[in-house]
Amino acid sequence: MKIKKPNIGILLFVLVGVVPFAAAFVYALLYSFGVIGVANNGFTFQFWESVLASGTFFTSLRYSFMIALVAVLISVGGALWITLKFREQLEKRFLSFIIYLPLAIPGIVTGFFTFQLFSKGGFFARISHKLGFITEASQFPDLVNDGLAIGIIFSFITMIMPFFVLLFLNVYKNERVEELSILAQSLGASANQITQRVFLPILIKKTWVLIVLYFIFLLGAYEVPLILGQESPQMLSVLIIQEIKQYDLDKISEGYVVAVLYTLIVSIAAIVLFLPKKNRAYAN
Amino acid sequence: MRINWKPFVLSLAVLLILFPFVYLVFLSLASEWRFPDVLPSYIGFKNWVTVFGSETGLLQSFFSSLLISLSVAIFSTTSGFLISKAVFYHPKKRTLTLLAYFPYILAPVVFAACLSFFFLKMGLFGNMTGVVVAQFIIAFPYALLFFSSFWNEKVKSYEDLVATLGGNKWQTYTKVLLPLAKGLLLICFFQTFLISWFEYGLTSIIGIGKVQTLTIKVFLFIKETNYYYGALSCCLLIFPPVVLLYFNKRYVFKKLV
Repeated sequence: MKIKKPNIGILLFVLVGVVPFAAAFVYALLYSFGVIGVANNGFTFQFWESVLASGTFFTSLRYSFMIALVAVLISVGGALWITLKFREQLEKRFLSFIIYLPLAIPGIVTGFFTFQLFSKGGFFARISHKLGFITEASQFPDLVNDGLAIGIIFSFITMIMPFFVLLFLNVYKNERVEELSILAQSLGASANQITQRVFLPILIKKTWVLIVLYFIFLLGAYEVPLILGQESPQMLSVLIIQEIKQYDLDKISEGYVVAVLYTLIVSIAAIVLFLPKKNRAYAN
Repeated sequence: MRINWKPFVLSLAVLLILFPFVYLVFLSLASEWRFPDVLPSYIGFKNWVTVFGSETGLLQSFFSSLLISLSVAIFSTTSGFLISKAVFYHPKKRTLTLLAYFPYILAPVVFAACLSFFFLKMGLFGNMTGVVVAQFIIAFPYALLFFSSFWNEKVKSYEDLVATLGGNKWQTYTKVLLPLAKGLLLICFFQTFLISWFEYGLTSIIGIGKVQTLTIKVFLFIKETNYYYGALSCCLLIFPPVVLLYFNKRYVFKKLV
């Protein structure tokens, strides 16, 4: 009988791509139930009950969800408008290079830059003082580390809107939206009808997976809310790391409860988005 | 007469895009810029000279970041390319692809926090090797998914043709697959380089402050409220991606369609 040769490629894939994720999840799960951990004495629901009763996780989830949603909606809406209005100009030599530049700025720099602009001693506070709008730094409105997360949302928009502009420009060209629009026009469609029946459906349908993916990335963003966020509520990743790094040993287990819940949400989202389906374009 | 407002909006957009770059360079040249002064009392190369004198270890951080990012890019691109072949020719490729998305979609910092125990046990905590391994774990799924479109029927038939003509595996790779994938390999290399170059959260957890990459330095300077050196670190952080953009836009933005 011929023995089937093991597929080394698949074994390596499992070792590098699957085992670390599984190990991390199992470790967090065991820690959250008190099975492992320095001060833990065995299986308990205590930390789960504590997290679910305190409501910290749900507040943080709601807060992160709203921030990510607002940032994605504004970015996608803005990018669609820019693509619709300025597509021809953005294809010209100089502008076609300039619009790529924001992609060279990482999250931590965006956070730092936003802080420099909008903090109470920042660039706009100085300008406001010079123009006589304020006389002291404390009079400048809270635009960073604020309750409405204005600084975080601003940073997220500046980070992802350029990406969506480039994405929509690519889809516009590759899906031949121009030709379809001309066809619709020759069949008597108005400019509004072309936007609503041709432009928007094609662009959204072809990119919705990426839009959702970016929403999930923002949900777990760390650097920007770490610099621009407030003490409470915090975005999910910041909350998890803060709890896990605590000196209070009970809080570490609670941090892992939040990490498990977050991983479950993200994994379910991945399953819904990427569950084996046929004819899925632009999924990666 | 109807006014054409587009040139104004576009000019404003260009200014807004360039503003962060100009502001960060300006801030890195400034010193003693106290509120409410609109301009700093000192503008010059003092900060840059200090950095190149290695007083703050920024130059060392730059080279550490470079070494880490190059290692991550080389390992993840090579392994991503080779392993993706096995994955995307496999009958269960859709399920395997789904598995690759789990680490890809999870926040790296949370991933690192849950993996830190294993890194500690393996002696990979707080050193550069550990940071490279951790970043490789998050860059690998990206590289693997990146090559998903490469392994198609056309490439498979090229491989079959080489085999039919008597070529061995080595020849298949060197004469057919690598020349075909050259462009993609280069883009994947630079994109995984940038994933590593921009990484902060995971590096801070696994490196525990001992491995000071540029992103770690930026955050340290923010905490110390040394904004001038912070801006300088930002300039060093932004410089390589801008150079990559200058050479080829696709190195920074993957054409998805």
